[in-house]
Amino acid sequence: MPTPPTTRPEWTIPIDPALQAELEKHVLVTSWDELLGVVDTIYNWGRRSALWPLGFGLACCGIEMICTASSRFDIARFGAEVFRGSPRQADVMIVSGTVTKTMMPMIARLYDQMPEPKYVISMGACASGGGPFKEGYNVVSGIDKFLPVDVYVPGCPPTPQALLNGLIALQRKIDGERLDIPALGRKGNTPWYDPEVDRDIPVPVFGPDLIDVRTLELTAERAAAGLLDAREAALPRPALIPAPRPEAPGPAPDAAAEPSPAPAAEQRAMSKIELIRARSRGEAVPGASAPTSAGKPAARPSKKLKVAPARPSLVWLGDEGLAELASRLDAELGSGTATIVRAALLVPAEKLLDVAFFLRDRNPIRYDYLASLQSVHYEDCIEVNYHLDSTARPGSLIELRVRTAEAEGAGEVPSVISVWPGADFQEREVFDMMGVRFAGHPNLTRILMWEGFAYHPLRKDYLEPYYEAPAKVFPSRIDDGQGQHRRAEELNPFGSNVKIPRSFSGWDRLDPAADVKGAGRMPEGTGVDVQELDTDQFVLSIGPQHPSTHGVFRMNLRVDGETVVGLKPVMGYMHRNHEKIGERNTFLMNFPFTDRLDYFTSMLNNFGYALAVEQLMGDDAKVPERAEYIRVIMAELNRIASHMWSIGFLLNDLGAFFTPALYAIEERELILDLFEWAAGSRMMCNYFRFGGVAFDLPPGWLDRCRAIVSDRLDRKIDELDRLLSENEIFKDRSRGVGLLSREQAIAYSAAGPVLRASNVPYDIRRAAPYSIYDRFDFEVVTGTGCDVYDRYYVRLLEMRESVRILKQALRDLPEGPILPGKKSYQIKVPAGEAYSRVENAKGELGFYVVADGGPTAYRYHVRSPSFINLTALETMCLGHTVADVVGILGSLDIVLGEVDR
Amino acid sequence: MATWQIAVILVKIFLIVGLFQGAVAYMILLERKIAAWAQDRIGPNRCGPLGLLQPLADGAKMLLKEDVIPGYVNKPLYILAPAIAIVMATIGFAVVPFGPAGLDAPTVNGNPIHFQIAPNVDIGILYVFAIGSLAVYAVILGGYASNNKYSFLGGLRNSAQIISYEIPLGLSVLGMVMLARSLELNDVMSWQDRNGLGPIPAWGVFVQPLAFLIFLVSAFAETNRLPFDLAEAEQELVGGFHTEYSAMKFGMFFLGEYLHVITVSFLTVILFFGGWDAPFLGVEDTSWIAAVLKVGVIFFKVTLMVIFIMWIRWTLPRFRYDQLMNLAWKALIPLALLNLVVTMVLIQLFRGVG
Ligand code: SF4
Repeated sequence: MPTPPTTRPEWTIPIDPALQAELEKHVLVTSWDELLGVVDTIYNWGRRSALWPLGFGLACCGIEMICTASSRFDIARFGAEVFRGSPRQADVMIVSGTVTKTMMPMIARLYDQMPEPKYVISMGACASGGGPFKEGYNVVSGIDKFLPVDVYVPGCPPTPQALLNGLIALQRKIDGERLDIPALGRKGNTPWYDPEVDRDIPVPVFGPDLIDVRTLELTAERAAAGLLDAREAALPRPALIPAPRPEAPGPAPDAAAEPSPAPAAEQRAMSKIELIRARSRGEAVPGASAPTSAGKPAARPSKKLKVAPARPSLVWLGDEGLAELASRLDAELGSGTATIVRAALLVPAEKLLDVAFFLRDRNPIRYDYLASLQSVHYEDCIEVNYHLDSTARPGSLIELRVRTAEAEGAGEVPSVISVWPGADFQEREVFDMMGVRFAGHPNLTRILMWEGFAYHPLRKDYLEPYYEAPAKVFPSRIDDGQGQHRRAEELNPFGSNVKIPRSFSGWDRLDPAADVKGAGRMPEGTGVDVQELDTDQFVLSIGPQHPSTHGVFRMNLRVDGETVVGLKPVMGYMHRNHEKIGERNTFLMNFPFTDRLDYFTSMLNNFGYALAVEQLMGDDAKVPERAEYIRVIMAELNRIASHMWSIGFLLNDLGAFFTPALYAIEERELILDLFEWAAGSRMMCNYFRFGGVAFDLPPGWLDRCRAIVSDRLDRKIDELDRLLSENEIFKDRSRGVGLLSREQAIAYSAAGPVLRASNVPYDIRRAAPYSIYDRFDFEVVTGTGCDVYDRYYVRLLEMRESVRILKQALRDLPEGPILPGKKSYQIKVPAGEAYSRVENAKGELGFYVVADGGPTAYRYHVRSPSFINLTALETMCLGHTVADVVGILGSLDIVLGEVDR
Repeated sequence: MATWQIAVILVKIFLIVGLFQGAVAYMILLERKIAAWAQDRIGPNRCGPLGLLQPLADGAKMLLKEDVIPGYVNKPLYILAPAIAIVMATIGFAVVPFGPAGLDAPTVNGNPIHFQIAPNVDIGILYVFAIGSLAVYAVILGGYASNNKYSFLGGLRNSAQIISYEIPLGLSVLGMVMLARSLELNDVMSWQDRNGLGPIPAWGVFVQPLAFLIFLVSAFAETNRLPFDLAEAEQELVGGFHTEYSAMKFGMFFLGEYLHVITVSFLTVILFFGGWDAPFLGVEDTSWIAAVLKVGVIFFKVTLMVIFIMWIRWTLPRFRYDQLMNLAWKALIPLALLNLVVTMVLIQLFRGVG
């Protein structure tokens, strides 16, 4: 503790200085202030040594926060391992991760509920200032916009060591506190004892955007003045491209016939930074980069645009099969049912259901599995497209396209829930993001944003509050060393990440106490009969801050006693606009963002994204052998790390307090070390590049990796197996719980271990082999129990298979280059459409990319396994108890970064 | 009663209450250390040497924290609940012998000094159980008064759980009571010491193994510890009944819980591990040295038991509510009854053995 300045009592009698010195040396001279300083010391010491954090993690940083409690870092040494689930018992709030607008009111509430004295650590770039997701329309630009922050921990994510350092910094800060004792006239810096000081934070309110009630009037004034609209009018807008049209039968599509806003786009691609710099210096800008307002391409292409081969995915039905299918559909359901458009079937909306039923029930290849559903906003229409696969004949993927009106709110498409129930959340997502209605959807409400949010953010004409240009780097961010860097807040007339339509008038109806996000998602008590007793039911809202929701996920449960009779998931609390930001990022720039999707499996995410773009780039990005092997090695290591975590935390959810989890984390740490060594970062590896990987393996890496793979992992997996698989309580808690039958699993588009535990041997690595997986010898593990236990066990066995693959890959790893050409920052991606699928640890991870030949993706969508697996949650939970719900959720192994994206 | 006797009792009360309250603080540290060792970590070590001052820091912090009373709670009950928790946990010690008491108590001037606060209660076991079950009010009231759904569920779970487990708990000790022919805890101890086959002492765990298991399981349930901590169930109910409590009120629940653990450990040791019984100590030794040794032995055994209870907590997953009930009603109670009947029959057959 810093020594307080030694204030001597006033000597009222003038004495000889020599005598005074003598006195001070031998006689204890003190003052009230100093004596009280002792109290301060004890008081501060007590609080500094018992800082109990509020147990909630928002995003990727939250994972590092948990790792801080693991054996390698052990925050317990500082007495701070007592993570409290209840804010009433917490002393410090570690805001770990992206603060979204959807979550912000909850955080404010939690903060208000904490007893004084309370502290806030802002962990990570996101919490401190919005971080990489700052431009997102649902992201708060730093928690300090609302809460007083004591310590900022930089990093993305900060390593556990950094968090420990932050904790120590906070301890130092506490050491410097002085008690306020008005009675003695002592001024301190402990405002919480002053009844005059109101430290409560007003809870921000959901309106057309998140509104800070402290600035309500100002916001209303500025919205009415239309300042933001005026600013937007002056900005270049992203160009719209027309939807692909059916091509004449014959050879590959003619490039000239391809729609393209290419010239502008391509030229921008080549010299974007220079252009932006030039513009920001006020120099003349080449015509091509002039604002292409309203999406009209400025000029026709002078040279032909490169177009990627038309295919929906790498492994698919094939052109002939598709033609045959189209004619069969025409024959069965009347002509004009299916037209082939860029290797996909264009189906009129009114025939969609017929086609869907036919494909599922009558077609020789039964398309029973809806792999992915997404939408694209074109110039002339909004296209909803469906990727279908067959679990009986995996690899016969086809794509359906349905088109509907482009105007906002006008589009309507029939819902396919009756055919593939797995479409439920995905249709709601399209509704939320694009404003397309799905006729016949039983509960078509916003899923990621809140009811009342003013926009449909993935429409091309929606510009985020911090929008500056169609592609990054935004002009304001280019610091030419001339002090030109400006914060986005300065550019937005509201001074923060807010956009409110000029016409909004319901200012007086805003209610901070309303549960805008959860309303409309209250479960009805249906379907489940509970005992004879006539009991009352009540609704229990679990989450978004709850020890076992694996992040900021929320479930509204209707319970009768302990039995769940209704359940509605509520999500979007971590919606950080990955897809919109992905449209602003250049292709290469988007890699680090994919890391942050499912932040446990950054390598696997990289893999999927690389494959999608490589599919468009074709031979320009042919991956060399060595890079293929390295990719597989990284992917499988990552799978093991992720499964370890998931098994550990499943046990934790079932009540085994952290012990299994921490043992699992130990193994994960070893793998993360390997990642850090090779890629430079533990969690956010950003290691893949189009056509290869970023760096070759450092010397010594392979030896260590081999040692871990061959000597350690097997042993540890056995250990887990021995400890857990036969544990009676664990078996009691997990056997027969959360049943999801084979048929249901397929219908709900479940993926990964969840699907395989329901006895469907569907693993993308085998079903639609990518990279070099066809060379390895491994089993697709399935379980027959369809329950929580089998999901656990499938994961365990999958780790064994991964070790098997790793051993083979490490044995065969050849020498050679790791990239097809030189490292390049100018990636040219031909126009086209691609859907890549990889087997992520959670299931099928898909990246759907539409490129228009420009530097950024025209549309970028992630098929997220965690998100879609949640569709089945309600079915699995009904009739079980509250305790089971937690276990079932744990067995799905969701990661909120990926659920909400 | 002579004044000095009252004085002795008061001294004992202060000693015991002070000792156990202090012990609880250190038990929490011990628990955190055990958790750390179970998880391959170090645990608190920054606060004083080896982290030994950690409980003081925790205590200082808790006392100085803002004591929030949310606006929506039922205030009198909300405040009453933690008080009940700690009072009930404390007064349970009144009849627990922590050393020789009764016949083998050492004497001062011919007056026996019992190592027990209230030595002459001849229904000691009943008293402990009665007080123990009163503690459930703390949880129920806390859960109810908080006006919070998690708390409410926690309270409900707890009431059902405690009521159910009271039965096997009570039944399981009856065997020992019948053998010792006394409800007084020190009689049970001396019975275990006096009987026995050669080197094998007649500890409850040997003569009543089934009862011991039932007692152990029920005791875990009674103390709300994993795998039966359904009332708190952090992963399901956030904090369960104490979700809304902050600062020292929360601390009081905590203290209550750990005091309960101590009581239960004492009971286990006394009923099933011979209490102060050790190979070299007997009822006949009434010397002061023997008394001190006996106190040492009993505390040593209790510590082991406490460590065992903690160790379990960091090892096992939690039961589900219905499984918990099934276990009590379909397994433990029938087994306890069976055990009782068999014991009775055997006692009748071998009259004179016990
Ligand atoms: S992106 Fe993730 S890791 Fe980076 S600061 Fe934000 S929450 Fe943390």
